[in-house]
Amino acid sequence: MNYKENGDDSLQPKDIPSAGIGPIHEMAALPEAGPEHANSPVPMAIANEKPEAVEATKQQEDADGSPSPSVDHRPRTDEAASSVAVKSVSLKKPQCFFGERPLPAMEMAPRVLRYRSRRDFLVFGAGALATLTGAGFLLPQDTLSRFGVRRNVDSPGKEWFLNKALRIDDDVAEALYSGTRRVPTYTKSQITLLKNNYNGTTPDPGYISGWKLTLDGLASGLSISLDIRNLLTRFSVHEQVTRLVCVEGWSAIAWWAGLRFEDLLRAYPPMSQAKWARVESSVNLDGSGNPDPYFMSLDLATAGHPQTLLATHFNGQPLTVDHGAPLRLLVPVKLGLKNVKAITRITYVAEEPRDYWAERGYSRYDGI
Amino acid sequence: MGHSTPPDCQPNSTSTLPEQPGVLVVRKHHFLVRWTHWLNVPIVLGLVLSGISIYWASPIYQHKPDPNTGNFDVAADIGIWICARVPGQHHYSSPPDWIYNHMSLGPGMLALALRLHWLCAYSFMLNGMVYVAGLVMGGGWRSLLPRRTDLLDGLRMFRYYLGFPFAKLARRQWLHPLFNTKYNALQRAAYFSVPVAGLLSVATGWAIHKPMQLHWLAALFGGYNAARVWHFWLMWIYISFVVPHVILVFADGWDTLRSMIVGWSTSVERSEVVAK
Repeated sequence: MNYKENGDDSLQPKDIPSAGIGPIHEMAALPEAGPEHANSPVPMAIANEKPEAVEATKQQEDADGSPSPSVDHRPRTDEAASSVAVKSVSLKKPQCFFGERPLPAMEMAPRVLRYRSRRDFLVFGAGALATLTGAGFLLPQDTLSRFGVRRNVDSPGKEWFLNKALRIDDDVAEALYSGTRRVPTYTKSQITLLKNNYNGTTPDPGYISGWKLTLDGLASGLSISLDIRNLLTRFSVHEQVTRLVCVEGWSAIAWWAGLRFEDLLRAYPPMSQAKWARVESSVNLDGSGNPDPYFMSLDLATAGHPQTLLATHFNGQPLTVDHGAPLRLLVPVKLGLKNVKAITRITYVAEEPRDYWAERGYSRYDGI
Repeated sequence: MGHSTPPDCQPNSTSTLPEQPGVLVVRKHHFLVRWTHWLNVPIVLGLVLSGISIYWASPIYQHKPDPNTGNFDVAADIGIWICARVPGQHHYSSPPDWIYNHMSLGPGMLALALRLHWLCAYSFMLNGMVYVAGLVMGGGWRSLLPRRTDLLDGLRMFRYYLGFPFAKLARRQWLHPLFNTKYNALQRAAYFSVPVAGLLSVATGWAIHKPMQLHWLAALFGGYNAARVWHFWLMWIYISFVVPHVILVFADGWDTLRSMIVGWSTSVERSEVVAK
């Protein structure tokens, strides 16, 4: 690559992309063209071109033997350029900063053009090939099959690569988060329909009568169980009308009421090294109605957000089974999939816990 | 690549070579502009394909569910229509998925589509910044700025393109409108508005990606749902740009296509006109 760079330089001192510099270099190459630079055209030309030509010649003699295609043309190109360019370049100074400038014209030896075109086309072809390979590597097999492409193995490198991109996005989301920034609230007239988006089958309401919330990983070292009456009498209830945004793209504005997660954290402080909460619902069912516990990681910074609720009411009524009776997480700064319905257990842990949807290819932090 | 250099390029051959006339060329595109231009092809393609796969999970355009099929997605309706009416598609196995099978990565792969979308989106933003740097370094941005005369000149160009096929068929002379700038008014309008659309795509993308932390941005586009609609239709700006863009590049000839790969062009008349 090195000799090519040098080849470029020695070939085209005027081939410099910056528009501001361009005209000056043309002047240097074409001394006759610019009367306003007439005081020093020849020295400039020498200063600009001769040393490079010498340098390039020296390159020729290097032991690596890499041929510089340019050197042999050097003197002739100079002469030709100056004679041709007199005709084409009678530059006016551009009057306006925003005004379009003429494209810099220059004379090049056909062989040099051929060489540079070949180089650029080879690079272009290599890039196109690399892109196709990359696409074959990254695209799902279902998509590739439509083009008749069969990939034998799903490489773990692909997962690693895509997870890397996902982690970057999660880090950006975490950097954007602010514990003091409130999400927009709405009026009750702006409420929209919220569909039941239970992933599997909606559970039978039988579980509600015996429901308890268990807290683990507390500073006290105890495991605490609370029923809904404990929660509603011990903690003050807050209301908010906020938007719930699903990873699928839909959203709904709903009127929620419940206790603040922050208050629960204060009443039952987590152990000192805890940075995460694992929020779990054991009543969750899969599509065919079998138990499919739902678990989700929540960073304690988000849990302590003033609009993160343990909701007990929806649109003025106690939660129905559809919406996660008797207690669901409402965390408007996260995607809907973090808003666990029918929470049965919260465990405070030091390391990031497993996450139901992250294990299925979605992101983990899910801050919005 | 040293091996590919022809033997007559060896230094000693200088004096024996016959004098060849030089070729007059103009610098058309800065190399950063060229690189980002071509990188945009896979990136935008990836964004569109993964974007429509994401769209599948919650279509913007829905209607009341069909009592028989339960379908509510307008894109699925279009697929059903295509399979019913378009020859050769009658036996398509899953008509509602026709659009998603032909214009996206496929239905039912939201998680993967999201990951590819973020990958392409971050690449797109990076690429866009390098593109702007190339425009600034090469001075090419000046050729893209709209002019006061563009409306009239644009209409003139539009009339030229409209009449061109008929004139060809009738073997009548059909003169290209004269202009002495790098691009004609229609090109300028396209090459100026597509980067603006790119910027808006990024802005609406962030608005729907982070509607809580960046709720002011979503509000700028009329709220979360409106920003989704913006984001969707901005995609169609690219599609409606790319199709005539590719056709016209091929119609214009090899020099124009080559200049986006090698950077220079041998059509120097225009630059002379500008220079005088």
